[in-house]
Amino acid sequence: MNSGIDLEMSFTQGVQNLGLSQELAHLLWIPLPMLLVLVSAVIGVLVTVWLERKISAAAQQRIGPEYAGALGILQPMADGLKLLVKEDIIPARADSVLFTVGPILVLVPVILSWLIVPFGQNLLISNVGIGIFLWIALSSIQPIGLLMSGYSSNNKYSLLGGLRAAAQSISYEIPLALAVLAIVMMSNSLSTVDIVEQQNTAGFLSWNIWRQPVGFIIFWICALAECERLPFDLPEAEEELVAGYQTEYAGMKFALFYLAGYINLVLSALLVSVLYLGGWGFPISIDWFSSLIGLSIDNPLVQIIAASIGIVMTILKAYLLVFLAILLRWTTPRVRIDQLLDLGWKFLLPISLVNLLVTASLKLAFPMTFGG
Amino acid sequence: MLGFLEKVADYTKEVVSAAKYLVDGLGVTFDHMRRRPVTVQYPYEKLIPSERYRGRIHYEFDKCIACEVCVRVCPINLPVVDWVMNKETKKKELRNYSIDFGACIFCGNCVEYCPTNCLSMTEEYELAAFDRHSLNYDNVALGRLPTSVTSDPSVRSLRELAYLPEGIIDPHELNANQKRAGKLPSQIINELKAEKSQEEDNNHSSNMVSNKSNPTN
Amino acid sequence: MNIAYSTELICFLILSSVIVSGSLAVVLLENIVYSAFILGGVFMAVAGLYLLLNASFVAAAQILVYVGAVNVLILFAIMLVNNKEKLKPIEGLKTRKLISGGVCGGLLILLLRVSITTKWNLPGPSSIGEEATERIGEHLFTDYLLPFELASILLLMAMIGAIVLARRDVLISIDDINDLKNQKSLSDKKIPLLSEKSLK
Repeated sequence: MNSGIDLEMSFTQGVQNLGLSQELAHLLWIPLPMLLVLVSAVIGVLVTVWLERKISAAAQQRIGPEYAGALGILQPMADGLKLLVKEDIIPARADSVLFTVGPILVLVPVILSWLIVPFGQNLLISNVGIGIFLWIALSSIQPIGLLMSGYSSNNKYSLLGGLRAAAQSISYEIPLALAVLAIVMMSNSLSTVDIVEQQNTAGFLSWNIWRQPVGFIIFWICALAECERLPFDLPEAEEELVAGYQTEYAGMKFALFYLAGYINLVLSALLVSVLYLGGWGFPISIDWFSSLIGLSIDNPLVQIIAASIGIVMTILKAYLLVFLAILLRWTTPRVRIDQLLDLGWKFLLPISLVNLLVTASLKLAFPMTFGG
Repeated sequence: MLGFLEKVADYTKEVVSAAKYLVDGLGVTFDHMRRRPVTVQYPYEKLIPSERYRGRIHYEFDKCIACEVCVRVCPINLPVVDWVMNKETKKKELRNYSIDFGACIFCGNCVEYCPTNCLSMTEEYELAAFDRHSLNYDNVALGRLPTSVTSDPSVRSLRELAYLPEGIIDPHELNANQKRAGKLPSQIINELKAEKSQEEDNNHSSNMVSNKSNPTN
Repeated sequence: MNIAYSTELICFLILSSVIVSGSLAVVLLENIVYSAFILGGVFMAVAGLYLLLNASFVAAAQILVYVGAVNVLILFAIMLVNNKEKLKPIEGLKTRKLISGGVCGGLLILLLRVSITTKWNLPGPSSIGEEATERIGEHLFTDYLLPFELASILLLMAMIGAIVLARRDVLISIDDINDLKNQKSLSDKKIPLLSEKSLK
């Protein structure tokens, strides 16, 4: 497997040529991918919001946003601007410190998790060894933020919503982690880059979805539950809880919740594509393709094309999953809280344990196909 | 052991059928995406109200005899009929008439019972006002005729679903001369009349035939 | 002093000050909800210290277990009970506080002495960084297998204990069951987990 483009190396070398020390060059490099990922995450959210509104409209035979920009593409921007200039209200009887910290604590872990999302061989912020485990750990911080904002709002709906959100988040994290564990067992690594590389040996046939169909479904259900998407949007069930833990929020603090929800959705879709759909891999192996044309894989042009194909493939797969999530939103009714916990503890947990066991035995039986 | 396995098999069957229904549902949602929007872009496009639409009530002052039937049939006795008895002519002299559309439920009883047909339903439904008291229409306001949607040049009038040709659900791309599905009431009446007359003819002729065939009777 | 070292030092100072002040706040604050939230912050700062020591797996595990599970459970427990309830004033609170302060101060002095007298800059094994995950797994399933399994049995016992405590109707004699059957209340529909019949 080729190493692909290493932007960091070329950047640090370029800066060093200007006469700066290697450390300083590294220090200058660090904020760049962070900024890039932050911006791309926010743009991803804007696109997702627009897609959500347009697809929802199409599914209900409406038109959706139309006048703000071509096809209403600027509508999410307008929404964001509106939230930005709205009055920031803190209820008089609320706990102002916790009320402010809550939304931040919800958003920050989600953005931090983008650390491990790879768009290509070297196109990620940090190839940390614990990779996917970091994401699971970070997403477990979120319930604290939800509980905090639910408690500090001094509102019964908020408190109930916060408690529900935390309960849901905790219950679905376990099958989620077990589904990820089966993948990790097959690829012998927690690193997202290794997981993708192990899937890209034979085009789309080597994707994990063929070897882990049950895990894929478990992961997707749990990811929807973690994002509080519609079949599982109990924490903000309008009919019962007004808006759950965000009832008392307005302006930018509400926008943080909104942003966290959508970043989480995009992140989950990206991680599904990384874990199960071969990440940046093209359905047909690029190596094979370039050798067919007769170009060396080290050719800079081929590398740039391969990198851009990788980014496009990752985003394409992720947005297909986002589309599926939106479709699910308008298809499935909301489950009750007892049904939700039943599904999590009595169905997904045993199934994911069995899945893990089957994967382990298959790995022992066929070490070639299941990563010995 | 066998019982347990049976349970597992049943459970799996249930799960599979649930998944099947879920996929069916997704298919329905997906199918809706290729249908055209039914949106009517309201201020620019308006639906043509149907013939029996019960909109704001129109009132003709000159026809009114101040009988107060409208007040009696109204569920909340809403119309205000202000008249005085002219002792010389011994006739009621109408001074004012008003209906408060902030309270009217547009049931149409007054229109139905008015002996002189001075009340009628219009197709006007845009009654928004800044002050609820301005919804209290007096006889001058009640006498105004609304602009029809079809004659308003700034509005694109669209036909309602029931008035579209067969198989078409989108009113946007439609020729004005395309007829609605089914028959118009007038057509039905004409047909009924024709049928009736034919029947009468038949009866007549059959009677004649029977008369002819049984001359002894 | 290069950039990497100074960054590490700054991070260490920030994290340790957060830990010390946070722990004090957890103990000393009146509002129990604040204490619980700050406890989460302290756990996260500890995870940061692990990160500084190149033990990223342990750091993530710390966040997952302590912040994501333990602290959330504590918060749950606090929020499910009525926190507006006035607690009874404890008799002789001042002397108790003085005694516990003395004990804590003594402990602190003892630890300070230990930390001063110990030679810290011993040449330990070099950190293995990303391979730590594998190494931890190897150790857990070879030489530390017994403690690992014992810990899991302990957790299982704790879980069963929690269920027993939460369900009052677990250990019911057959007479009690008959009594319940005679009553036509809702509770007679509950099936006890461990009745004497099922134990036989």
